[in-house]
Amino acid sequence: MKVKCYIQGMAAISPQHTFDGDITTAPFVQTESNRLVCIEPDYKPFIPGNSLRRMTRVLRMGLTTALKCLANSGVATPGPIVTGTGKGSLQDTEKFIKEIEQYKETALNPTPFIQSTYNSVNGLIALQQNGTDYNNTFVHRGFSFENALVDSMMLLQEGASHTLTGSFEEMTEEHFYIKSRIGQWRTAPVGNTRLFEQHLPGTISGEGSAFFVLTAAQTPASKAAISGIKLLYKPSEERLSAVLQELGADADLVISGDNGDSNYARYYELLGEVLPKPAIPFKHLCGEYDTAGSFALWLAAALLDTGKIPGEWFPMVKELPGEFRKVVIYNHFFGEQHTVMVVEKVNG
Amino acid sequence: MAERVFITGMGMVTAIGDNVAGNLERLRRKESGLGFTDYINTIYKEVLPVGEVKQDNAALFRMAGIPVQAGFSRTTLLGLVAMQEALQQAGISHLQDEPTGFINASTVGGMCDTEKVYFDLINPDKSGEFIQSIHTLDCADCTQRIADTVGFTEHLATISTACSSSANALMFGARMIKAGMYQRMVCGGTEALTRFTLNGFNSLKNVDRQFCRPFDQQRTGLNLGEGAAYLVLESESYAKANNSTILAELTGYCNTNEAFHPTSPSPEGDGAYAAMKNALAMSGRTLEEVQYINVHGTATLNNDISEGRALERLFGTAVPPFSSTKPFTGHTLAAAGAIEAIYAVLAIRNNIIFPNLNFSERMEELQIVPETELKEDVIINNVISNSFGFGGNNASLVISKYEG
Repeated sequence: MKVKCYIQGMAAISPQHTFDGDITTAPFVQTESNRLVCIEPDYKPFIPGNSLRRMTRVLRMGLTTALKCLANSGVATPGPIVTGTGKGSLQDTEKFIKEIEQYKETALNPTPFIQSTYNSVNGLIALQQNGTDYNNTFVHRGFSFENALVDSMMLLQEGASHTLTGSFEEMTEEHFYIKSRIGQWRTAPVGNTRLFEQHLPGTISGEGSAFFVLTAAQTPASKAAISGIKLLYKPSEERLSAVLQELGADADLVISGDNGDSNYARYYELLGEVLPKPAIPFKHLCGEYDTAGSFALWLAAALLDTGKIPGEWFPMVKELPGEFRKVVIYNHFFGEQHTVMVVEKVNG
Repeated sequence: MAERVFITGMGMVTAIGDNVAGNLERLRRKESGLGFTDYINTIYKEVLPVGEVKQDNAALFRMAGIPVQAGFSRTTLLGLVAMQEALQQAGISHLQDEPTGFINASTVGGMCDTEKVYFDLINPDKSGEFIQSIHTLDCADCTQRIADTVGFTEHLATISTACSSSANALMFGARMIKAGMYQRMVCGGTEALTRFTLNGFNSLKNVDRQFCRPFDQQRTGLNLGEGAAYLVLESESYAKANNSTILAELTGYCNTNEAFHPTSPSPEGDGAYAAMKNALAMSGRTLEEVQYINVHGTATLNNDISEGRALERLFGTAVPPFSSTKPFTGHTLAAAGAIEAIYAVLAIRNNIIFPNLNFSERMEELQIVPETELKEDVIINNVISNSFGFGGNNASLVISKYEG
């Protein structure tokens, strides 16, 4: 899609200090385990206590990020609510599977079943904000958030003034183990600052939630513009190269989804060949997960908005570019879903 | 001016038939597909009726035309059977001839298979072929296996908004066509019965131990079902240039949220009312031009009050003939919107209204009653199809006769 939209406000919960404060002053969080875990805020200012008690982790993270995003954006109503999540509430899914077994299918508590439904976060946002507009949830691995973005951009084109668009993802200990059985993670612990020193099979897992209020028209508060997005399913190298060239040729900063995994490193090498430009990674900040692309978009917008790249967050990058106005993000999820987004500076 | 969107192919498998023609025949004969499960391992095997596709997985592999192999969940197989028919009916032999997107819908992905091996997956002492179903847990698994088998290489998406999922998939596909992104999309959903979902709805105390009785005073809940359905959508210009057989037109749609309760609809049916009203407005049709409504009609206590009140609010004393086809198929969750969209096309093309089985007593809250007999030789130009889900998600489609 080549329709332009604007990020009016945003919020993110991630393994970094992204929820409060400013990217230029927040300290970088170094990790030593292969499972990056979110720094969770105090939820009480956002969610009433009796609701909070019932909610599991990813519901709290998703709802709170959405609410903070709305507050940051100064819009009265959320408008259409569109989200992406690869796995929804793993905690609830795991709990309900186990309770069915444990209680032999009798006298079950329905709450984990209800919360395991992929659109439950959307329902909660709508409920708390009286959001009666369009409401949709995409659940397609590395295309989940990006489909939500495509949907939102179509809504803006169709006449919506703004949308609330976001993602939410958690990793549980149990699911981390399950995915370790097919070699998704590094077998030896690797610190996030050393993730790219050597490309080896597997990566580090991550999680997070990011929400954006997107508008059709630019305002003085706009943080950045999204001017291009493309989703490619299992593309050939030729097709991928052509799209990277088409969308990224005039970008002056590349944000790469490289995750240190030698199994699929070829695509990121290709990125460097097609677009030999200043580049920064982001998976050492948030880890690998289905909707990591939303973190990359948050990062791109934050960097464009503040106009500088905090060196402390990128100790592995030798020379950071001083000036940049157009950022291209390329990411893929275990070699299957490839996405390219273009983000541009606005207001100066 | 945005393109009109036409339906040019349909494929389905449900408890009442392995294809579209089979479904139509059973609808005409008023033969329900509800019964007890042969394939789910549950203590409710002979207690809770379901709408099960009476083909085991080996038979589904044969019907899908592919060799038996690991990693293909029942969700995927049901989807493939419906997909093959939809492509065939639309006359598509090579998907690459025209860039074609695929929008799928699923509520629990391959849970039907995952739940059987889950405790082995989390047990380090166990290993074996089950590892190959590790990916079936997520909803994209069925979408991608269907895509890879039949050859979709363009835009892929999987939508999960509970019981309205595939209605939203149709809407998303239609909007992509109107936005000019694609000329052709295939949209729908697939759902297999699982112990997880059966226990989920049973824990909410809204599963009937008898065959479900939509809009009946004595109704006590729904019966779950399984199945899959896909519709081929084409832009007007492509359909005409391609000389496609146009089965019907998707003239209106609306997705709205009720913001009332996580699992219950509002008693006045605010969301259902808004979804139907806005979808109809988009279609440019008047209330009087609607000849049939295929209601969501799950037969839960709350849905039928809410949906019935919404019908009375929108249409006043002139509510068109309406029926729920859930007593035929069970509630097929993510597949329901697409299955019932096909039923809407069948109603238009065959000039029939399907009966609402198991109805005997009008609800005290409502003045209206559903159609209980098969009505033939009625002119049907416009049908509203409703799908409402958890999280307050309401979707209505307007499907219209193609009149050039």
